[in-house]
Amino acid sequence: MTRLLDVENLTLQFDTDEGRITAVDDVSFTLEAGEVMGLVGESGSGKSVTAKSVMKLNPSNAIYGDKTKIILHLESGSIDIMSLKSSKDLQVVRGGAISLIFQEPMASFAPAITIGNQMVEQLLIHTNMNSKQAQEFSIEMLDRVGISDPSMRFKQYAFELSGGMRQRAMIAMALSTKPKLLIADEPTTALDVTIQAQVIDLMKDLVKEFGMGIIFITHDLGVIAQTADKVAVMYLGRLVEQGAVRDVIRNPAHPYTKGLLAALPSLDDLDTPLTPIPGDIPSPLERPPGCVFHTRCSANLGARCSSEIPGFSPVSDSHTVACHLYNEEGAK
Amino acid sequence: MLQFSKFVAIRAALAILTLILVSFIVFTLMELVPGDCAERYLAFKNSQGAVITPADIQAERVRLGLDQPYAQRWASWILNAFQGEFGDSCILRLNISQLLGQKFWLSLGLCLSALLLAYAIAIPVGILAATSRNAILNNSLRLVSYLGLALPNFLLALMIMLFSTMVFGNSLTGLFSKEFRDAPWSYDRVMDFLGHAWLPVFILGWSATAFAIQTVRALMSDEVGKLYVTAAQARGVSGRQLLMRYPARHALSPIINSLGFDLNRIFNELPIVALILTLTEAGSLLIEALARSNDQQLAGAIIFLLTASIVTINFVTDIILALTDPRVRRSIVG
Repeated sequence: MTRLLDVENLTLQFDTDEGRITAVDDVSFTLEAGEVMGLVGESGSGKSVTAKSVMKLNPSNAIYGDKTKIILHLESGSIDIMSLKSSKDLQVVRGGAISLIFQEPMASFAPAITIGNQMVEQLLIHTNMNSKQAQEFSIEMLDRVGISDPSMRFKQYAFELSGGMRQRAMIAMALSTKPKLLIADEPTTALDVTIQAQVIDLMKDLVKEFGMGIIFITHDLGVIAQTADKVAVMYLGRLVEQGAVRDVIRNPAHPYTKGLLAALPSLDDLDTPLTPIPGDIPSPLERPPGCVFHTRCSANLGARCSSEIPGFSPVSDSHTVACHLYNEEGAK
Repeated sequence: MLQFSKFVAIRAALAILTLILVSFIVFTLMELVPGDCAERYLAFKNSQGAVITPADIQAERVRLGLDQPYAQRWASWILNAFQGEFGDSCILRLNISQLLGQKFWLSLGLCLSALLLAYAIAIPVGILAATSRNAILNNSLRLVSYLGLALPNFLLALMIMLFSTMVFGNSLTGLFSKEFRDAPWSYDRVMDFLGHAWLPVFILGWSATAFAIQTVRALMSDEVGKLYVTAAQARGVSGRQLLMRYPARHALSPIINSLGFDLNRIFNELPIVALILTLTEAGSLLIEALARSNDQQLAGAIIFLLTASIVTINFVTDIILALTDPRVRRSIVG
């Protein structure tokens, strides 16, 4: 396997009227080429912000930490993304080496520009195609993602397509520049369950074919179990657990991951009441000291959890957790 | 294409229908004024010393066709109105189209120029204000624009009048210099007109610009924050291409939509500005017709013409919207 992405000590704060908010706190992970990583967490856990950081797409009030390092390894060499300043410099990664798919395909297409024109625009920026070639290639891509009558769809607007078709078009557009990394930010959340399955299958096929890495953001552990090779769990801007997807889901270590899994409804046993994680995710303005999860944690050890930030300890060869319960030699 | 012409035809028919409805309301209002044209004119004569009997009034009514049924008089009024013919003024006894003719077109021209000026300034400034994070620029724009909104046009007109009288003498009033007032149109007359017209256009455009800047800025701020802009950015679109093709392009539709409303506002402000600047050639005639001489024929004609202008502007903006916004176009053409 070849390394595709290194994210080291990613810290991201936002300057707001209410003060400086920490959205991502010291997050590190790696991704190999062709690997699918699931990024899981509740709303407000910082998973979208983390993903957007990879293309420096956060709003202008975002402040990156000094130690933050994001390196994208391409065949042509490595790119230090944090060193890219202007939006012209960032074009290499934005829509070129990295593509982003959003949760709401309707809102992510410009309403008064045809699907085709938006696809062609991206190709003209990132490839050497002329507009006629770009047009033909876009129609080919629409066909490739299973959109019927692609030359007609090419001329249509987002509001004229169904939800599933829009997300297919979005995928076609995202893959048209043959990116090395695809970031999918809850790409199926806004879709019907049956369409979800189709879109996930489509993405799995295309990943194999194009051989790219994927960061798949979702709060749905079921989707992660189906699609991802490995998973990283985020809570309030911190990574709390990461590892191979089977290890983490079969044998969750962090009380938060356990809670997320226990909160999933099971179709086999409809009588068992759901066990939600008590409480709400705290406001980023009032980040708890120590372990960020200790305010909601059922296994809270007291003073240590509320004062000391836990480091990562191994659970198995391919599985680590940041929790004081595992802090001594990985044994409880 | 065929469907588009069908749409234009339907919108045109709707516009005409609106005008007919408005004409009915205007005509009814004219009728509701106590007394009719015959009484009014003869009362006016009476005040000048003539002796008037009820028989004279009756004879005058017959002469003016006022003895005809209501519906019939409305029908003939509206048929004539659509041909630009409004009969005679009650008091002045002059043909209204001749009386208004050029004055109306000059007024309309002033208002349209003010509207044009307002948006020529507001669109770039509003876009800048919505996208710039420069606090000084934003605050000074806000100040100027609140000043524009808070300072009534008539006060601005008075201040400029006062200032110009002190500095330049009395050269800024009216729309024409004395020697050109009744002269036929010529190059010199046009230049003379432009030399005078900039002031009322500026004053009328003043608050309209402030208002338009607020509109453009609010609409742009709305669009800039939308996901499709971030999505375009994520695809590598940047700089001016990003700004113009995405938020600016999409804020345009509601701006076009507001043009008719803005023209209406400017029209409403014209009479008072015209009064102060003594633009006898423009809007002040309306106030005179309504307030001073109670001339319902004349007032009705003016209101009808104003409404017709606004209905026309709305018709034109509808067509432009359909041409520029696919959502509107597809909802009509299918």
